Amino acid sequence: MTRNAEAALLAGAAVLAALGVSIVTAAGGDGPDANTALTFVVMALSFGSLHLAFRQWARNASPYLLPITALITAVGLVEIYRLDPGAASLQRWWLLIASALAIGVLALLARYGTDVLLRYRYLFLTAGLVAFMLPLLPSAWPLGGVEVNGSRLWLQLRAFDTTIVRFQPGEIAKVLLVVFLASYLASRQGALVSSTRRIGRITIPEPRQLFPLAAAWVVSLVVLVYQRDLGASLLLLALFAAMLYAASGRVSYPLVGAGLFVIGTVAAARLFDHVQRRFDAWLRPWDDFADSGFQIAQSLFALGSGSLTGSGLGLGRPDFIPSATTDFIFAAVAEETGLAGSVAIVAAYSLLVTVGFGVSLRARDPYRKLLAAGLTTVIAIQAILIIGGVTRLLPLTGITLPFMSYGGSSLVANMIAIAVLARVSHEVAS
Amino acid sequence: MNTPIRRLAFVLLVVLGILVLNLTYLQVVAGPRYRDDLRNPRVAAARSATERGPIVTREGVVAAESMPDPASTQDFIRAYPEGTLFAHAVGYSTLLFGDAALEKEFGRELSSGSDLTFSGIIDALVGREQGAQGIRLTLSHAVQQEAERALAGQAGAVVALEPSTGEVLAFYSSPSFDPNLLVGESAEAGDDLAADPASPLLNRVVDQILAPGSSFKVITAAAALESGLANPDTMYPDVTELELPGSTAVIRNADRGTCGDGTQVSFSLAFRRSCNTVFGQIGMDVGAGLLGATADDFGYNDPIPFELPTVPSVFPTSSLEGDPPATAQSAIGQRDVQASPLQMAMVAAAVVNDGVLMRPYLVSERFDRDLNILSQTGPVELRRAVSPGTAAVLTELMIDAVTSGTGTAAAIPAAQVGGKTGTAEIPGSAPHAWFIGFAQSETRSIAVAVVVENGGTAGTDATGGRVAAPIARTVMAAWLATAQ
Repeated sequence: MTRNAEAALLAGAAVLAALGVSIVTAAGGDGPDANTALTFVVMALSFGSLHLAFRQWARNASPYLLPITALITAVGLVEIYRLDPGAASLQRWWLLIASALAIGVLALLARYGTDVLLRYRYLFLTAGLVAFMLPLLPSAWPLGGVEVNGSRLWLQLRAFDTTIVRFQPGEIAKVLLVVFLASYLASRQGALVSSTRRIGRITIPEPRQLFPLAAAWVVSLVVLVYQRDLGASLLLLALFAAMLYAASGRVSYPLVGAGLFVIGTVAAARLFDHVQRRFDAWLRPWDDFADSGFQIAQSLFALGSGSLTGSGLGLGRPDFIPSATTDFIFAAVAEETGLAGSVAIVAAYSLLVTVGFGVSLRARDPYRKLLAAGLTTVIAIQAILIIGGVTRLLPLTGITLPFMSYGGSSLVANMIAIAVLARVSHEVAS
Repeated sequence: MNTPIRRLAFVLLVVLGILVLNLTYLQVVAGPRYRDDLRNPRVAAARSATERGPIVTREGVVAAESMPDPASTQDFIRAYPEGTLFAHAVGYSTLLFGDAALEKEFGRELSSGSDLTFSGIIDALVGREQGAQGIRLTLSHAVQQEAERALAGQAGAVVALEPSTGEVLAFYSSPSFDPNLLVGESAEAGDDLAADPASPLLNRVVDQILAPGSSFKVITAAAALESGLANPDTMYPDVTELELPGSTAVIRNADRGTCGDGTQVSFSLAFRRSCNTVFGQIGMDVGAGLLGATADDFGYNDPIPFELPTVPSVFPTSSLEGDPPATAQSAIGQRDVQASPLQMAMVAAAVVNDGVLMRPYLVSERFDRDLNILSQTGPVELRRAVSPGTAAVLTELMIDAVTSGTGTAAAIPAAQVGGKTGTAEIPGSAPHAWFIGFAQSETRSIAVAVVVENGGTAGTDATGGRVAAPIARTVMAAWLATAQ
């Protein structure tokens, strides 16, 4: 597929988004309004600029990355608009900002090459860990953390008694940690593969090698315990396990890590109420329908009501789903577009996995291999965790659905991930 | 490193695939269960946004309609302006208690067709009518009102048919209930109704079968006449006790006396006076097989073809064969014979309709929002129950029973009225009082079945003639008096 074909697909995604918005207004009995035009303009502007940036700074990157992202973003914009037009206009702003930041990152990487990231790997590690822990700052400080819905994941910037902006540093931290892991594991790859230390029949890496990883594992538990974010800790674990495995080829490493995490989680479930509640709601949502099981029950009602082809855009009742614009955006889409729509979304993420891992396999040096694999994995695992949670395959967590959930921090972080992936893709193909 | 990377990609894709399988299960396989779960707020929202068509009587009195909800602009509330009057025929359509009776059986036609479901689209493509339809009933408001008034305070049922067409003119079960109590979001009133020991929710017209007692003698007489084993002048020994071969049990008449003068009594007098001793004998003469076949011809042992589900009336032919005592008791409508009021009304209707059994129906037409008639129901002959000759004889016998027999309380001046009383003995309780019959004027005719459970207010003193016949009289008279 050529760049021009990519451009055509991006235009198609913009049209799709605008069309979706006007269908929603039509379902409400009105004709297309400013929102239709704005949606089209913002989509065209964001992805158009990204496309041009790719032509300039990632010429040989895979032409599939942007269209897939644009498609998922379009669906997200339409459904957010259907649920809350105010949130939709905010999301449009964030899309512009995210695209601009992604382009900035792309330009920087083009100038200095992705190898520059290798040199600053420990900076990235620290930045990532710190970013995760920032919300623990006292909320009284100008830059302080705040608890939302029982989890302490947000950072807010305050001045003169008002909140200027709120964001989740954890979202960007995930990308920073991937960058760190890719470069760290790539440089230690030899040692990882050839380690001869054993416990019984299981090969384990040199303890010294593991220190940064151990630190990260501890952070994941801290996140779980103090910040009450089961999702982020699951995500970190899965990410570490995946990248460790990719780097070393030894299943034992991630298995051991997984085992340790399971022990940690079970202990946490015993000791901490909020973790126990998540598991109870997951395993027996109907027992406490009105309280802890309510969210997942509403999600199931929405999924069932959607059936095969959905209730129709604007014709369903996703407003009955709690947190529909954020955690449950997928359930809202599944209700209004049915199994057809929900499977299409999963297919889009699967395509992204295919493309991203294709880049990774074609890369010739371990660093780029791991970087591409890691970035793709972090997006994929987020999708798996939240779609799984919303469909009761996994316990529900506060993980955002990349490009679809309402939320600026998530959009920024995932867009940057795509930009880095594109740059790697370009370097691999050149 | 490519191998582990490939495997990692594979694992991620497999997990995504599992998500798809799970989604398919949740949305398609288990989907309907979640969609229809009463806790799903969409169910209540959809119901209240739906305008259902009206249900009206033959005169146009509204029995059920959707009223705009004063609390919201888009919603409707289902209302039953006549309250208890049509509760068992029309039923109800509610969120918490579901749908019942005609509201249920005609739910699809009554509901508005504005939902864009798959079937709605198919309907539009195929040209099937969309939009709420109304239904007109065969029920007469005037006759139904009289049924309710006449039965007041007693448990039982009244059902009336037009014998030549099968139209149901009255369909009342007592005690009744107000369906308006079941509409809405509180289950309390409905739960109380369900827990009420008097069973107001029970449809006694079609969902309950009771021993018919002597009213069953119409069928016994039909079997005897049709087979030629007897005619109105056939004589029988007039005894106070009929001995049953091979048993110590005996059959006595209601007053424990003789039927006639103590020597011999005719078939027609025995019918008029409802003598058990004679009819027990007739039953044994006819035999279980023939008696059962005649009952089957009148509709026994099968559900009645009707817009509402029915409980079949029972005549256990095979268990009676070779057992004359049991047959004798069954011939007088006791032992294990059980009948629904609708079935017994059909018996009376067939007799006066020349022996032809018509299919009963409640819904005469469906119409759309502009009152265009979409479909009409016509009379359907089910089968010939007895020959015209037998029917004529039975008609005469039943007229005699009202003129000078046990059913005089049913007589209506200036009309031909015939019938058969029944007083079904229930060991340990007061008897059920039955009356089945017909009335004909120059312009109209009607067949009716009335049952008052356990004697009603008369208790153990109740007989069909004393308790049920007067109710039948006023109900039939109400129809004869209507102008329409």
